[in-house]
Amino acid sequence: METSPVITMRDLKRHYSMGEETVKALDGVDLEFLKNDYAAIMGPSGSGKSTLMNIIGCLDTPTSGTYILNGQNVAEMDDDELARVRNREIGFVFQTFNLLPRINCLRNVELPLIYAGVNPREREERATEALNRVGLGDRITHKPTELSGGQIQRVAIARALINNPSIILADEPTGNLDTATSQDIMEIFSDLSKAGNTIILITHEEDIALYTRRIIRLRDGRIESDKKQ
Amino acid sequence: MQFREIIRQALYSLGANRLRSALTVMGVAVGVFSIIGVMTALEAVNKSVETGLTSLGANTFQIQKYPATVFGSGHRRNQYINRQDITYPQALVFRKTMEGKASTIGFMLSSQANQAKYADRTTNPDVVLTGGDENFSASNGYPIEKGRNLTTNDIRYATNAAVIGSELAATLFTQGENPLNHSIRVRGEVYRVSGIFAKKGAAFGQSQDNFLLIPITRYLNHVKESGSINITVEASSRKTYSRTLDHAVGSMRITRGLTIREPNDFEIRTNESLIDSFRDIERAISTGAFIISFMALLTAGVGIMNIMLVSVTERTKEIGIRKSIGAPQNSILRQFLLEALILSLAGGLIGAAAGTATGNLVALQFNLPPIFPLLWITISMAVCSAIGIGFGLFPAWKAANLNPVEALKGK
Ligand SMILES: Nc1ncnc2c1ncn2[C@@H]1O[C@H](COP(=O)(O)OP(=O)(O)O)[C@@H](O)[C@H]1O
Ligand SMILES: [Mg+2]
Repeated sequence: METSPVITMRDLKRHYSMGEETVKALDGVDLEFLKNDYAAIMGPSGSGKSTLMNIIGCLDTPTSGTYILNGQNVAEMDDDELARVRNREIGFVFQTFNLLPRINCLRNVELPLIYAGVNPREREERATEALNRVGLGDRITHKPTELSGGQIQRVAIARALINNPSIILADEPTGNLDTATSQDIMEIFSDLSKAGNTIILITHEEDIALYTRRIIRLRDGRIESDKKQ
Repeated sequence: MQFREIIRQALYSLGANRLRSALTVMGVAVGVFSIIGVMTALEAVNKSVETGLTSLGANTFQIQKYPATVFGSGHRRNQYINRQDITYPQALVFRKTMEGKASTIGFMLSSQANQAKYADRTTNPDVVLTGGDENFSASNGYPIEKGRNLTTNDIRYATNAAVIGSELAATLFTQGENPLNHSIRVRGEVYRVSGIFAKKGAAFGQSQDNFLLIPITRYLNHVKESGSINITVEASSRKTYSRTLDHAVGSMRITRGLTIREPNDFEIRTNESLIDSFRDIERAISTGAFIISFMALLTAGVGIMNIMLVSVTERTKEIGIRKSIGAPQNSILRQFLLEALILSLAGGLIGAAAGTATGNLVALQFNLPPIFPLLWITISMAVCSAIGIGFGLFPAWKAANLNPVEALKGK
């Protein structure tokens, strides 16, 4: 049975000191995510969603508190260990896509594998497969600039998937997309969830959150509610 | 990350900023070009010098009015021009006082730019007419190939015998003709060819065989009375060389009537003094080249640092993306270092190629085989690597240490 949590956070704080003032972006967060969780983090602008996401994704480290990812204490890791975790355990999907504009889809998708030291032939195979999974098998040699927003976000999802991460993190993945395209993207996340992936996404749209099975609401750096649906 | 990937990425991002990359590469190229070009050229000249300047025989030195700077561009020439010529009578007195202290003492005097004629053939006006004696051949490294040398009788009676250089022989006479005992005409005077010198070859791109030697006595009577005589002294052995040199200086001072306070008003020219004076000039040129190179490379290095800093700023977002998908610090560091290295090495290679080509134009001028300045190219590449890494280090370090969250925001 897979009962031990993938993520455990205890009294997590992230404070920014801005001269005299201290901004408490996260102010005592306790959270657990289990394997195959499919959760939405919601909350008003400035409530700490992105800050939380960056910490979960090991792009940032908490000011205090504990964050255990797959049994490892992230707070104690150095930069290169964090990079390794990002490479192996995390797949990011961003609101602004964040693909490298000058290289084609295949090269973008295989990028995490380069840092993982996978050989070129296997990289290409796996990247092609990941692009097929998001329905872009016929676009592998296109550059991001030649694709629509929805297609670009699918390339980004393929990149997030490629290293079989423990968690897929998406910060407002539909924030720059129209409604129909947003629904397409959410279908993909739902499919990935059904396939066993653990997915955490940020959104401020209720209908997007409805695709997930759990909604966590943040306010002023604290958890306001955490409901399964 | 594999090296090949980094190279590919580096080339890619350099290609995206072609003009800026090209300008930086140019800077390095100029620096390397100047040093390689000059060093190649100097090596060419050097090879020529070593054969051309050791023209005097062993244990031999010359006394003459002017210093031996073949390269003298007239600087400080005034200091020497007021000296009195070494006249023939002085030379004879000198020889007398040197009796028993040197193995041979020869005299010579030359005029440039003469035309020689034989039958209906005329040379270009570039033949050297030298008045000398029987010692000329041995002292100056011109063995007789055919016929005979000048003799003491030729000198005593001022005969019209002439020993001609191999090139002059080749110009005036055809393959089948035997020049010996034929009459040639120079400056309106007729000379009988009594011998031919062996070929010496070119020095500084100039033939050393396009001349004729006639008795100095005839030269003074029929060609030119004035002119300062060149005295060639040969010591009997290496051991007595410096003693002979001392004697010669003393004798010459007496001959010239110098008081004890007056400095020498003549110059001693040895194989070494010639090469030394060449080395001085060589040193000045290479010092100049080093300074130019150093400044150019320093400027180029700062240029590299600048372009890399701009590059880091422009690609902050890319760095953030790479970090977010797991690029470790040293991979970012290597990527930017490699870009800097490629810039500087590309410049180095271009500079080295251009420098080698230019230097070899000089070699060509001296009729030398092509020169490949391997040592200087190796040094240049090492210096370029150091510059690329040295000046690329700070920008690369900056890139590697960007905070991923901030970098993703593109700040
Ligand atoms: N680098 C930072 N420096 C200072 N304050 C920050 C920084 N990043 C975020 N904050 C502050 O932390 C709070 C939470 O921000 P964020 O997590 O981006 O909110 P959300 O994503 O929910 O809109 C905000 O008040 C924001 O101004
Ligand atoms: Mg946000």
